Amino acid sequence: MSSLRDRARHRRRDLLRGLGCVGLVGLAGLTGAAPAAAAPPAGRRRSASATGPTLALIGAEIHVGDGTVIKDGTVILRGERITAVGDASLLGSLAADASRVDLKGKLLTPGLIAADSHLGLVEIGMEPGTRDDSGGEGPIRASYDAASAIRARSSLIQVQAIEGVTSAAVAPSGGLLSGQVAWVDLAHGDDGALPTRPRIAVGGSLGQVIDGSRAATLAQLRRVIDDARLYRKQRGAHERRQLRDLAAHPRDLEALFPALDRKVPLTLRAQGESDIVAALELAREEKLRIVIIGGTEAWRVRERLAEASVPVILQPSENLPGSLDRLGARLDNAALLDAAGVEVGIAVLGEAHNLRNATQEAGIAVANGLPYERAITGMSLTIARAYGLEADYGTISAGKIANLVTWGGDPLELEHFAVQVYVRGAAIPMVSRQTLLRERYRDLEAIRRRGR
Amino acid sequence: MTLLGRRAAAPGTRGRGWTESWRRVALCGILGTLGPVGALGCRGKASTPPAGASSDPVRGSGLSPTGGDTKTKKSTVDDPREVPVILLRGGRVMTAAGEIFETGDVLLKDGAIAAVGGSIEAPAGATVLDVAGKTITPGIIDTHSHMGVYSSPGFRAHSDGNEAVAPNTAYARSVDGYWPQDPQLERARAGGVTTAQILPGSANLIGGRSFVVRLIPWARSAEDARFEGAPEGLKMACGENPKRVYGEKSGPQTRMGNVHGYRDAFQKAVEYRRSWAKYEKAKKKADADRKKGISPSSGGGKEEASADPPARDFGLETLVKVLDGEILVHNHCYRADEMSLMLDLAATYGFKIRSFHHAVEAYKIADRLAEADTAASVWADWWGFKAEAFDGIRENAALLEAAGARAIIHSDSAIGIQRLNQEAGKAMYAGRSAGLEISENQALRWITYNPAWALGVEERTGTLEVGKLADVVVWSHSPFSVYAAAEQVYIAGELVYERGSHEPRSDFELGFREGDIGGDAEGVAP
Repeated sequence: MSSLRDRARHRRRDLLRGLGCVGLVGLAGLTGAAPAAAAPPAGRRRSASATGPTLALIGAEIHVGDGTVIKDGTVILRGERITAVGDASLLGSLAADASRVDLKGKLLTPGLIAADSHLGLVEIGMEPGTRDDSGGEGPIRASYDAASAIRARSSLIQVQAIEGVTSAAVAPSGGLLSGQVAWVDLAHGDDGALPTRPRIAVGGSLGQVIDGSRAATLAQLRRVIDDARLYRKQRGAHERRQLRDLAAHPRDLEALFPALDRKVPLTLRAQGESDIVAALELAREEKLRIVIIGGTEAWRVRERLAEASVPVILQPSENLPGSLDRLGARLDNAALLDAAGVEVGIAVLGEAHNLRNATQEAGIAVANGLPYERAITGMSLTIARAYGLEADYGTISAGKIANLVTWGGDPLELEHFAVQVYVRGAAIPMVSRQTLLRERYRDLEAIRRRGR
Repeated sequence: MTLLGRRAAAPGTRGRGWTESWRRVALCGILGTLGPVGALGCRGKASTPPAGASSDPVRGSGLSPTGGDTKTKKSTVDDPREVPVILLRGGRVMTAAGEIFETGDVLLKDGAIAAVGGSIEAPAGATVLDVAGKTITPGIIDTHSHMGVYSSPGFRAHSDGNEAVAPNTAYARSVDGYWPQDPQLERARAGGVTTAQILPGSANLIGGRSFVVRLIPWARSAEDARFEGAPEGLKMACGENPKRVYGEKSGPQTRMGNVHGYRDAFQKAVEYRRSWAKYEKAKKKADADRKKGISPSSGGGKEEASADPPARDFGLETLVKVLDGEILVHNHCYRADEMSLMLDLAATYGFKIRSFHHAVEAYKIADRLAEADTAASVWADWWGFKAEAFDGIRENAALLEAAGARAIIHSDSAIGIQRLNQEAGKAMYAGRSAGLEISENQALRWITYNPAWALGVEERTGTLEVGKLADVVVWSHSPFSVYAAAEQVYIAGELVYERGSHEPRSDFELGFREGDIGGDAEGVAP
């Protein structure tokens, strides 16, 4: 277990080196610094350190996120990290001045992680002026960096956070290679600080993206990958204009290097069986880490996905035969994949306003055969792992960032809401623009008296 | 897992025999609509066409015999409407009429609900189904669907919901664009939906007439599916959509233009109605004069001229029916200020808005909606996809209920329609979480009785009450649970869906599934 984490840390160190990040402190990857970003999020920058006040969460049924459940468990937080997870015996060594929260009768889960979201990139769907989720016209936009576009003060952040979403992979959309995916923790307060880690993945889409043709789309993707390798090897020749024309701007090719080095995954939106097979072949030939997003027909190639250890992040309610790519859509997609050994992530995809409904989606997956703890894992650890951030996220484990949610009961049930959400160790205000609106209009009599 | 599946898995028990006989009965009921069934072992009975009495709840249910002249049928053909008498026994019965029987029975007979209560004696010949642990509710009703006019797959050829050629197409009718083979329909049925309003889209200020469908399998035309006798609706749209669609064409370009469009249309309808009234009056007079022996010509040419009927205008005719209360107005409208404005406009012209749709700000004017007796068809939690939807809150339906207004949870989505029960659950629990007292009965009415009222069919369906259509769902769990699945769905007493064992498929989907071509996949044969 620890060696696994060590490996992950090594990998992440490599990743950071590869990205040439500056200003990152130790394990505290999420500093809000976005090198090469035009406007890094304003506000306080924090490192995820395990120093600061100690908080003990006591007595909850802990769903760790990796499938294990601890009854009457205890979690100790220090600063922004989890320092210990276990039973009541942990309290023996607790400092006298530590805060304690009694969670008897409650459930505790890892914070939910939104995958392939547009959180912070869009405020109002149909208002172009409030959207920044898509860069440019061409199909290759790999250098488009979502981290530089995220609005830390988006009202959507708190709407999701108070319902248990504590982190989000924020991905641009459009084109074949849409751009760089960023990771945010939903620590949005009035200070506008939104811890952001840039460039955790390259996002793209398969299907009929180029000239309405799957084949043209795949051919273009292969050309771009070839040219990224060529450009990397012969940058000098390119600068001397001794190289043939490239399939994309050098910036966009450069932006693919971490993915070519397997330091970050290439997340591919793919629905149809043939596209998923093509993605697997591409990954094998080019030695890429890929993640399938959507995967409507993934169940049809589940054995191959399992064999290649490629995770699928899907939205379980998607069961309409909306196009020829989706004729195989079915509600037990998640269950079939899981049974075949595929890691299944669960999320509300390509969305920003209702990422909070991941719990309902997970419930739908369970109602259609997915084992319960797999559904919890699917909203947390699987997604953290898919994006390569499982060292810091996805389970309630010592050393990880303290993103946690307490629930009144089964979080998948519509009846239960998050009681308290902790982001990076802090209990967030359980208030959003929506709860403020509700309170303003709760008493219409009073408004009548004042108005008409 | 279905009722059948579980029971079949326990051979040798009472359940097995029950299963087999039930399966046969169910098949007979369904196959009865298609042709000779003697070979399947169904007890053949002489054909008995549905009773002609208007009190028969089955009439007008969309389930009357179709396919032409009964005289051409052979005598071996069972009556399509011959469904077994079924007693659902021992479930939790949520009537949506106020009463909830923690353990109760429902008797389905001749297409109607024959009895509901704590304990009902099984009539001779009835099939008794033990549904202990299950929940029984009325069939779910959606006031807002585009199934059949925006079908799946989303082919260009399937785009039949918006006649976006002019901001007022009151003449258009969704019934004329409806494709009964839309695969979305069977998914909705699997979600317990038995009735839905099929609306034109919201591109236009006045999009045209809607119609109400029963989610029966085997409909071969829109008329087969039509909820006979249900009033038609008129789709109107406020706000962003019409001005976006027409802003760079003929207009309207602004909300000012939108409102002018409604006023202009209804003013013309008033005048059209007046010209018809004038004509009718003149005609009446001319007829009376003729009876009295007065020659029409002696009265001069004026009356002669007015004896010609005005030119018929299908759009204005639709709007006149709105003014006369025959067609119910369904108004896509998000913002509180716009809904207030539309209530005023409707009052000016003397018509009612039956329901606002989407209405994400309905909670801001719940008192006014209650006063106007205008329903609000809302989502549980959709918001923010456009500026007029930015103020959506989870407690919308609950706040409406608390203010005495008529709340409805609608879908406007072929995904959402598959679990309106869950959406109502979310809205109920959100309200409770905010300290509003919402009962299960109230929340159930958001998806049953209230939509039935909005569609003008509340006397025929929407609750489990004696005499109403036997539109019934048997759920695996509380319908407000995320784990709930409809295990059986009945429309007018006929089993139209059973999870895992009877899931009719549309023509379109045949041949695409595993086993369709080489094997013996379920659902291929009728």
